[in-house]
Amino acid sequence: MVRLLSFAAFLATWWGASLLAGDQKLPPPPIVLAAVVAEAKSGALFFHLGVTLARVALAFILAMSVGSALGYLMGRVRLADRLGDPWLILLLHLPALVVIVLAYIWAGLTEVAAIAAIAINKLPTAVVTLREGTRTLDATLDEMADVFAIPRWKAFRHVILPQLAPYLAAAARSGLSLVWKIVLVAELLGRPNGVGFEIGVAFQLFDIPLLLAYSLTFAALVLTIETALVQPIEARLSRWRRRAA
Amino acid sequence: MQLEVNITSKVYTNAAGERQEALAGFNFALAAGEVGVFVGPSGCGKSTMLRIVVGLDPDYQGRVTRPPGAKIGMVFQEPRLLPWRSVEENVRLVAPQADEATLSMLFGTLGLDAHRSHFPGELSLGLARRVALARAFAVEPDFLILDEPLASLDDALAARLRGEIATLVDSRTVTTLLVTHSVDDAVHLGDRLFFLSQRPSHVIAEVPIHTPRGKRDPAEIKRIKAELARLALANL
Repeated sequence: MVRLLSFAAFLATWWGASLLAGDQKLPPPPIVLAAVVAEAKSGALFFHLGVTLARVALAFILAMSVGSALGYLMGRVRLADRLGDPWLILLLHLPALVVIVLAYIWAGLTEVAAIAAIAINKLPTAVVTLREGTRTLDATLDEMADVFAIPRWKAFRHVILPQLAPYLAAAARSGLSLVWKIVLVAELLGRPNGVGFEIGVAFQLFDIPLLLAYSLTFAALVLTIETALVQPIEARLSRWRRRAA
Repeated sequence: MQLEVNITSKVYTNAAGERQEALAGFNFALAAGEVGVFVGPSGCGKSTMLRIVVGLDPDYQGRVTRPPGAKIGMVFQEPRLLPWRSVEENVRLVAPQADEATLSMLFGTLGLDAHRSHFPGELSLGLARRVALARAFAVEPDFLILDEPLASLDDALAARLRGEIATLVDSRTVTTLLVTHSVDDAVHLGDRLFFLSQRPSHVIAEVPIHTPRGKRDPAEIKRIKAELARLALANL
């Protein structure tokens, strides 16, 4: 209910602003909706959203799995931490644009380059978060697992992973938002499809309804995935806590 | 002998960088199935000794001999349960071989029937302690290590749990090390009492108790305590 109200307020503000600014600069909702419907009818909207979504999923999974493994290793093994730390700091502060442009130059304007560039941008935050998480692991529980001779993989699943779950969730959360932001830039610069590419086209043609149509459906997609996927998983992982964090 | 411990020295460096000797010349032996009870002042290094005996701390001088492949069940000073697993999952995780009958018996004895599906955060300290006991017994250990399992419980509950531990220890052959402050625990549960010095800690007196646990009625307990008092050990 509150969400609907807040959505209605957004529409009202938009409409009001478009009356003030004029249809040229900010088209009102019906015109944008018409653009959405037209794109949906031709199938282009779903195609481009799907392509972007696939890139997000691939880059996200790649960065999360590699980043978590590296973070865990760096949290556990001091030598790995020392070796990895300078690279981590470099990657953390390297602008996304530099990574994307270099990836396209070195690997060509390919799908691999795009996904790798997006993943590399997200990777260091996952490493840092998981490294912090690994450092906070409870040594007394490790001892418990040791004394009772719980097999390693089992101890990892039941003793270690639940402690890392909040850090994995935090890395996924911040990582996903980072990936959403970067994927469009990568598409704009070097891919012939996807929401980023379409927004580039709309920008060059100064087709504002088209630009807004893609931006808003993309935003809706992000919101849907957050509420339908990310939040329920988080809630499930922390169900043993009596008070919600 | 089933367990032979000869720790010549255990030194550790504290946070301020000072070296402290926790154990020096700490020797004892226990036969299979015996309950050894360690009584000593706070902070004398009892937990340090236990960590060495179970193999958690390899950094010491000396020798610890226990049969290879012995299964260990341990109750730590704090319960050390996994907060994200239910009571039953906590127990099953360390004892995947335990069948339903064994578990119901254990949960029944320890009064945990109603709490199987609860998370540790929902339990009182007394209940969490009992879950830790259930977990240690569920593995059917050859070695049972109890590090002050009854500390900070009220007397009535401590007495009940003490009885439950006695029952469980007598139900099978398990060599047990029990660390405690309480002479009551010692005379109720021990086959062999070890009295410890201030740090650097070592055994200053070894007192065997020959009366079987089942036959220690209040009069017998009183007699044993009197004997300890005669040895001037009961007030340590």
